[in-house]
Amino acid sequence: MLALRRVQPWALGFAQRSATKQVALASTAVDTDGSHSQSSDEPVAPQKHQSRAIRTRRPRISLQHPREWNRPLAFGVLPAFDEALKVIKEDSMALKDEVTALEGAIAREKETPQHDQHALRVMEDKLRILEVQSEINFPQVRWKCANGMGKQVPDWTPSADMSKAVDRHLLEQRWRKEGALDLLMERIHQMKVVPDVLPDIHPSLDLRVNFPKIKSNAGLQATVSKTVYEYVEPGVFLLPEQTVEPPKIYTTVFHPEERLYTLLMIDPVTDFPDETNKTFQTYLHWLQPNIPLSSVSPSPVPNLNTHTAYIPPHPQRGTNYHRYTILLLPQHSRLSIHMVAKDKRTCFDVRAFMEKHGLDKNVGGGVHMWREVWSEGVPAVYKEILKTAEPKFGRMPKADRYGDFRGKKRYV
Amino acid sequence: MSVSVLKSNGLPFQLRGLGARLYSTRKGEVSSSDPQKDIIRRHLYPPNIRNKASPTGTWRPDVARALQRAIPSVQAHETIERAWLLHQRHLRKKRDAELQRKFNCMRQAMQELEEIDSRLFREANKQEDPRARSLAEVEAMKSMSEPEKRAVESRVRGLFPRELRIPTDTPPKNGWPNEWRAFQRPLA
Repeated sequence: MLALRRVQPWALGFAQRSATKQVALASTAVDTDGSHSQSSDEPVAPQKHQSRAIRTRRPRISLQHPREWNRPLAFGVLPAFDEALKVIKEDSMALKDEVTALEGAIAREKETPQHDQHALRVMEDKLRILEVQSEINFPQVRWKCANGMGKQVPDWTPSADMSKAVDRHLLEQRWRKEGALDLLMERIHQMKVVPDVLPDIHPSLDLRVNFPKIKSNAGLQATVSKTVYEYVEPGVFLLPEQTVEPPKIYTTVFHPEERLYTLLMIDPVTDFPDETNKTFQTYLHWLQPNIPLSSVSPSPVPNLNTHTAYIPPHPQRGTNYHRYTILLLPQHSRLSIHMVAKDKRTCFDVRAFMEKHGLDKNVGGGVHMWREVWSEGVPAVYKEILKTAEPKFGRMPKADRYGDFRGKKRYV
Repeated sequence: MSVSVLKSNGLPFQLRGLGARLYSTRKGEVSSSDPQKDIIRRHLYPPNIRNKASPTGTWRPDVARALQRAIPSVQAHETIERAWLLHQRHLRKKRDAELQRKFNCMRQAMQELEEIDSRLFREANKQEDPRARSLAEVEAMKSMSEPEKRAVESRVRGLFPRELRIPTDTPPKNGWPNEWRAFQRPLA
């Protein structure tokens, strides 16, 4: 119905619509965040009767191009806006008083020798909610969290301050409501990763995987181009040449305290052929337990290749596409897991592994997947890393039904 | 927003491209003189200028600009929306809290009454039938005319008063009823 081509949904559109005739007459302080440097991006040429073209692209605000928040309209332009700011400010101050009172009550409760655990937990939950509610209505807070998350930025580091509860809450709402989680779950379910790897997965953190871009052959041979790691959409096809090195893992975690996670990368059952049993098996590509993650932990996640080393994906020639899944499973406590030897990687059972080490899939975690098919880069993986002969698969030759009769005369 | 924001050129949809299709008329020939020729021309050469919204609203290219004029800032709009909902929530919470307080007071009062006097407590707990007629009323109704009987039956305690006049802009045509007296319902 709306003919707004390539425009972000309304809730995201903090693109400042610059002066209409009335606004220009009423105020001189037109929007300052995003109009001037973006004038070359205007896709629609201004027509005769209109004052200015509609900007349909979001302003490129991110950590690389940081921007300060400014009031969208000057004081007096829209009285309703000024009243709204007053109401929000009053409400925020009242809530902040409540927060300090509740913090005092919690501290006093903790000091008593036998404190009621349930009541304490209830008070702490209420404190979290009040902290978020006291700040979530401010336009500057919402603007800060809504910007700095552009897809063009390869590392996706949010400009929000993750130590604040309200920023964490807003980022989580964005992840859950504005499509990223839905896309991931769609791909997980449509590619049947969910029944094959685990019975169900409910992610609680945003896991993003970056692999190097494919270097084009058309570039200058003399220049050594730096490998640019590009974001991988869940479910897309990658080339084995891209996945030779371990990926950069970026996480957005929504809990402030540090918790331990286990990273698993597998080629699920039904993908890796097992010739001896004439069936398929799960192959373990990567395992790293005891990764500490919190909302303020560094991004990308460091020290991921210290336990079971990363073996690059090697889809065999003649098989269908392989789905490579990365799981980030939450742990209750520090685990001591033995390193999995190279020859033991083919018979890996995810469900048994989780039960053995007490990893519960219902608590949350992260998941990501992509697909790969044999290409010219796979023999190199077999030769250099696996050091085995490269198998080639195909169908069994059919018995020739008419072999006896071929060449013989039929009508004698 | 005002209608002028989405103004078309005033002509119905079919006649909008009329100016552009005068190539099929001779010089001096005004197209609106013969409506039959107009109709034939319109069906032979349908308008193909796609710059207005389609009649059924499946394509509306003018909406973006209209919205931009109406809502100059999305951020301001969202802030106002949130502030209004916040204000409504405060009112709602206040009303609910007041209602809860009244209910608790009532409950406390009834508890104390139960302790003090159990007969009065039972009386206080009795449900009142609003349509119940007391003996005195029944006696009085026997000597009433039909309209008066209907008036008594329709006046239920707690219902909206029937005699309430709705305020009007102008006074009544028939003047002020100075002789009107309120109907007295006989009470128990």
